[in-house]
Parts: sequence; C-alpha cells; structure tokens
Amino acid sequence: MLARVLVSGLVIGCIYGLIALGYSLIYRASGLMNFCQGDILTIGAFLGYTFYAMLKLPFAVAFILTIVLEIALGMLLERAVIRRLLGKKVDGTYIVLATIAVSYMLQNGAILGWGTRIFYFPPIFSVLSVRVFDINIQSEAAFCIVASVILMIVLHIFVKYTAYGTAMRASAMDAKAAKACGVDPAMTIALTWGISAAIGGLCGMLIGPVYGVFITLGAAIGRKGFAGAVIGGFGNMYGALLGGALLGIIETVTTAYVSSIYKDVVSYGLLLVFLLIKPTGIFNERAIAD
Amino acid sequence: MTALLQVKDFHYYYGKIHVVKGVNMEVREGEMVTIIGANGAGKTTTLQAISGLLPPGGVRGEITFNGKNITNSGGDKIARMGLSQVIEGRHIFSKLTVQENLMVGAYCRKDKTGIDKDLERIFKLFPRLKERLKQLGGTLSGGEQQMLAIGRSLISNPKMILLDEPSLGLAPIVFREIFETIKEINEREGKTVLFVEQNAKLALKTAGRGYVFQTGEVVMHDTGENLERNPEIRKAYLGG
Repeated sequence: MLARVLVSGLVIGCIYGLIALGYSLIYRASGLMNFCQGDILTIGAFLGYTFYAMLKLPFAVAFILTIVLEIALGMLLERAVIRRLLGKKVDGTYIVLATIAVSYMLQNGAILGWGTRIFYFPPIFSVLSVRVFDINIQSEAAFCIVASVILMIVLHIFVKYTAYGTAMRASAMDAKAAKACGVDPAMTIALTWGISAAIGGLCGMLIGPVYGVFITLGAAIGRKGFAGAVIGGFGNMYGALLGGALLGIIETVTTAYVSSIYKDVVSYGLLLVFLLIKPTGIFNERAIAD
Repeated sequence: MTALLQVKDFHYYYGKIHVVKGVNMEVREGEMVTIIGANGAGKTTTLQAISGLLPPGGVRGEITFNGKNITNSGGDKIARMGLSQVIEGRHIFSKLTVQENLMVGAYCRKDKTGIDKDLERIFKLFPRLKERLKQLGGTLSGGEQQMLAIGRSLISNPKMILLDEPSLGLAPIVFREIFETIKEINEREGKTVLFVEQNAKLALKTAGRGYVFQTGEVVMHDTGENLERNPEIRKAYLGG
C-alpha cells in the first residue's frame, strides 16, 4: 500500500516540482511571480488532447507541437504584457496582478475552445501498466515520472553547463553587465518565459492522461506548484523540484491515510508554516524573506 | 589616420535633464586615453552611452566605431563588434563562478581554441583568477573582482576596451597593480584603451592623452604629460 501511495505521490509531485521550477525560472529572469503557470499547463493538456485524440496525430508529434506552441505563448505573454508593464516602471505587484488577469483569460479562452467537460486521453501505450518492485504502475503514470526526471536533468544541464544557459542566468542577475558581454537580455528573458511555458505544456501532456483534461486542471496544480516553490526556497531551481515533489508525496499520503478532505489543509498549512517560520525555504533562498 | 572611436557633438538627456552637452572626442587605434573630471561631469554617462548601455532615447549626436555608426545600436551588438566595457562598480555576476563569469565574457566567440589561448593569457596577467576558478564571483575581494571584470572583457578579444573607474574602492597597492596590467594590455597586446578615472594623477601618468570633463563638457584635451603640468589642472584635480 505505502509503495503505491508513494508512487502516485511522486507522479503529482514531479508535476508540482516542474511547475515550481517554472515559477523559479521566471522569478530569476524577471523578478516576478507568474500566476498563469497553472493555466498554461491546462492549455498544454488541451492542445495535447486535441492533437493526439481529436486529430489522431502520433503522440510524439502531438508532444512536439504542444511544446512549440507553448514556447510561443510564453514568449508572446512576455513581449505583449510583461515587458510593456516593466517598461512603464509600474510596481511589481501590479504586474503580478496582470498575470492573474491573464490566468483567467486563458481559463475562459479554454472554455471557448473546448467547453467545460472532462476529456479523457485514449491510452498512449499499448501496455496498461508496468511492474516495478512488485507493484503495478499505470503506464502513463510511469511515463510521467520518467519524463519529468529526464526533463529535470536536461534543464539542469542546459542551465548549468551550456553557454546559452549560463548567459540566461547572467542576464537574470545583471542585465547591464550581460549586455556588455554581448548577450541580448531581452532575448534571454523572453526565452526564459518560453521555456517556463514549455515546461507547463509538457506537464499538461504528462498529467492529462493520468487525471483527465478539464478547465481547472492547471489552476489547482499551479497553486500547489507555487507552494512547492516556496517550500523549496523561492527562486531556487533545485529547491523548487524538491519542494514540489515533497508536497506531492505529503498530499498523497494524507489522502491515503487520513482523508482526501484534509489534503489541501495539510499542503497549504505546510506553505503557511514555511512562510511563517522559514520563508527562505529548504534551500535558503532570499526571495520571499526580503 | 582615422580614429577607431569618434564621438561627434554628443549630448545626453536623462528625461529633461541635459547632462552631457556637446562632447567631441576621438581615440585612434592603439592609443590609451583617459577622461578625468569631478563627480557628475558626465564621464560615466558618456562611456555608457558609447557602449549602448543607457536608454537610447536620451542620445543626440553621432558615435562611430571602426568606421561604423554605432549610435543607438544596442549594447549587446556593440560588444559583439569588438568594443567592450568594464562597467563602473565591476558588475560581476555574483552567483556565477569565476569560470562561468569568463564563459559569459566569451559568449560572442565560437573559436574554442582562440578562447583557450586567451584564457591562458588572462591567467598570466591575473594568476589569482586561475586559483579561484570555481569560486563564486561574489566571494572575491574587490581587487579580484576588478581583475575578473577586466578578464571578462579581455576574453571577448575586443579591439577596444573602455574602463570606468577601475580604481574605485580599491587599496592603493591593488589599484597600482591593476593599472600596470592595463598598461600592459595596451602596450603589449595593442588593445586600444579609453578609461575614466577619479584618481587624476594616476590617470594622466598612465594615459597618452586625456580629456577633462566639467559639467558635461570637454574643457581641455591634451597629452597626459601636458595636462599633468598644466597649472589649472594641478590646482583643480591634482591637489596643487
């Protein structure tokens, strides 16, 4: 029983972790909290469903198309809304509010496109489940964990070891100095938004087949991802992954052994505890403490 | 001989405030030139505007580098053309290691062997950077950060380097060492150098020529030696 609970905790935990990572990347690049991360996930799930289930494209093609469209959506959001507001030198709080406005626009836009019912992905794999250490795991759930871990490693290598990833981190730290080194910060920041959105879209493609696709799928995950980011240390990439994974597991354990009614109380209670006692999170990041 | 960098009738406005009022300057290839002047004379503004690091709306006049008009070209593009600036206050990427800082400096280069060769040269100039390669930029001392800032600029293999107050906040023994190195970069490596400096005495001793800025205008320009001997300059900037 416990093993199975931990596995399903890890499935949602990976998604929370990746969404939290999206928050952290954007916080680093633009100094903002982007509250449409979750709805970008919803859009990703719907796009994936449309390409795979409605247009009957191969899963890999649906996957790539979704990611490309999500990158475009993230970059558009940065260019059309965020950069304009930053250029007007308005207070950061207003820009965060603007992201909440965009979040509702995405949700309503999705209703316009897909309606309010729940869609279920047709199976992606021919086998229903895989057996690992004596427990059966739904293929889609196993795929979600494996793909999430691969994505985390790829992102880690990209950000940490490639020239472009290093330039991205540099622009986020000091745009002027990055410019003096020949880096175009406007481009790296836009691309950071694109990557965060792509992560959201990918999460949608991973969790959609497990949970079903519906309008508020991402909203709840987005809030939990935010909590995960705070718990890990807001703005810290690795803290985000750890915080998200931890939250997913705690939540699932609560559901299994206490009651699903209390799972949100426990998760958000944990968020409050961290905010009150250790706002710098597990990885001791200063973002929320200041 | 035409100038490598030419600034013609340059003005800069911060909103409605007119801070630089019609500056004309030129630096020829291989030269080492300084800008001296009191705080608020417009030295840093001029330097940053040349490098395209200020909001472009405030620029009037024409800046050419290597025969191309670079007025409002955008800082990243200007850096890629071979005009590199060591910004005032060093601006080290504090949470990147020394190695990563240098990696960002080499961002616009693709020739791996050339980068490695230049890296060796930089380590020869500043052996301490090699010892601290894995350390975070923010944990270096002020002098080491200045060395890193200069190294980060050199690794891009620029034609010309602009340095803004390289001595700022450094102990005399440290900034003398850094000035020696800047001189070496100019004389031995043939890099053209333009630098702004508060320490006028040191600046005029190091540079071949100097421009004196006062409230946004060039009030005098001459060889470093002549400026050093000029009674007015002695009184105003060299302490009598």
